[in-house]
Amino acid sequence: MRPENYQAVSLPCSNEYELFIGPNHPGIEGNYAFKLKLDGDRVLSGKADAGYLHRGFEKLMEGRLWIQNLAIVPRICVPDPVPMEVVYSLSVEAIENTEVPERAQWIRVMQLELSRVASHLFTFGGHAATTGMYTPSFWGVADRDLALDLFEELTGGRVYHIYNIPGGVRRDIPDGFLDRLSQYLDYLESRQNDYDNLLFTNLVFVKRARDIGCLNQENALEWGVTGPNLRATGLAFDVRRDDPYLIYDKLDFDIPVQTAGDCLARILVRRDELFQSVRILRQIIKHLPSVKGPVRTPIPNPLAWNVKAGESYSRVESSKGELAYYTVSDGGDMPYRVHVRGPSSMHAVQVLENMSVGERIEDIAQIMFSLDACPPEVDR
Amino acid sequence: MSEIGNIPVTTGNDKKRSNPLANVFDELIRFCQARSMFMLHYCTGCGAIELPPAMTSRFDMERLGIQPMVTPRQADILLVTGYVSVKTLKRVILTYEQMQSPKYVIGICSCTVNGGMYWQSYATAKILNEYMPVDVYIAGCMPRPEAVISGLRRLMGNIENGKANGWKDYYQRYDYYLGNQQHLFGDDWQTPTDIIGEANFYDLKGDETCGEHTKILEQHQVPLEPLPMQIKF
Repeated sequence: MRPENYQAVSLPCSNEYELFIGPNHPGIEGNYAFKLKLDGDRVLSGKADAGYLHRGFEKLMEGRLWIQNLAIVPRICVPDPVPMEVVYSLSVEAIENTEVPERAQWIRVMQLELSRVASHLFTFGGHAATTGMYTPSFWGVADRDLALDLFEELTGGRVYHIYNIPGGVRRDIPDGFLDRLSQYLDYLESRQNDYDNLLFTNLVFVKRARDIGCLNQENALEWGVTGPNLRATGLAFDVRRDDPYLIYDKLDFDIPVQTAGDCLARILVRRDELFQSVRILRQIIKHLPSVKGPVRTPIPNPLAWNVKAGESYSRVESSKGELAYYTVSDGGDMPYRVHVRGPSSMHAVQVLENMSVGERIEDIAQIMFSLDACPPEVDR
Repeated sequence: MSEIGNIPVTTGNDKKRSNPLANVFDELIRFCQARSMFMLHYCTGCGAIELPPAMTSRFDMERLGIQPMVTPRQADILLVTGYVSVKTLKRVILTYEQMQSPKYVIGICSCTVNGGMYWQSYATAKILNEYMPVDVYIAGCMPRPEAVISGLRRLMGNIENGKANGWKDYYQRYDYYLGNQQHLFGDDWQTPTDIIGEANFYDLKGDETCGEHTKILEQHQVPLEPLPMQIKF
């Protein structure tokens, strides 16, 4: 771009201009773009521009065997991959009417909650970094890494652990795993005070995050908001309690709720949820040794496995919201159609577009991170 | 040697310079380049999730002088982390062309090597090396932070030995890369950067810089529109 190629032209006076944030921008989570129309530093309108991560996922799944699809399923949501595997397994099991052994169900819930802990720790860091505080992001990533070590011991992979299969989980937990998990939970609880002082009650953060990006309950229900973002508007809806899957009905946990609906409420809901997950994991550590039995029901030869014809809609509560798979089988060895209902596809597009109107430009990144959207889930 | 005004410019061609002191000076420059690599903060795919652990307190890339940098103009390394869809690849190429030379590209994850598990996909570009010169590949889905750091160490070694010459390749064989880009994006594909002018500047314009594909580019190239300027009085 050489300077002789362009010359300045004057236009009538105006305060309005367009600004293009992303995809190559540190204030954007992942590969995602947001076009803004601004008047001074106020946002007049915003337009989401997704599709940078589109790899034709739903089409790819139609060309692979039922068991091969397990390998690409966790790639949909990168920070929180376990719910993807579990919900795919659940949807296949619902078509096949497979009975999952109880021990496998406990191990699945343990993974789900540990993954939720890891994902929330990652989110705190990202959210704090948009307000200029980098220490929480260093702490959050370091603490998340300890959870990934546990996953590595259990499954062999740090991030993508293809561990759940239709009918159960691949293998039993290693010796002494529950002790190490318990030590990690002790460590997390000892950090609670530090995190509160550093981030959640820090005035620098609270004053930035309060009254920013407000969402009321009526709009939230209309726009399809789920998960912690919905609970931050005062509605205690959680798939784990209201439509229990696996063994969640045997566990004792609370559903944290905030009423303000702003950025601060959303991050406080996540903070409380993190420690509720710790509480669930403690119950699992207590109960899991007494649950005996196999960890999977045998499936037929996976390379020639014709799943019964039928369809199913299974949903779980991931750390981003309600995640669901609509799976159709025509009796063949490959799925006929798989649709992924990612929670972020609502949060990152229509909610963000509507919410950013009237906000100031320096708060846009914070609103985006507080919704905790995951762009690969939008594009699939 | 070429000249701009009356300032002599050292060329990128690796001719041994006759003055021994100049060789020492070149080595010093390369030593410094290898120890302050700034990487571009562009998360192109899912491999980006292993970069925060590699940068922060556990594995800590900063002790090697590697830091994230927010703009392409200040960065030395472009990390392409994972699959690039066609829509992303346009932005990646534009970003790469905006970076200052010397610049290096690292392809992380298997998807950049041969398409990975998306080799059947209609939306992704499979082999990154066809669209831009890649200096180091790090395979794995996804590679551990240790693997990322080891790949970066490999790049540091290559820079010190003068082997990391991908950016020169882009100037010298621009026609090949442009041909692949046009094959994917259509004949009217263009970026506002002027690669041939830059190749002239670095004295790297070779036989393969211009060819049939750059002729197509010249046919379609529209001059940049005047930049609107709005001033409030």
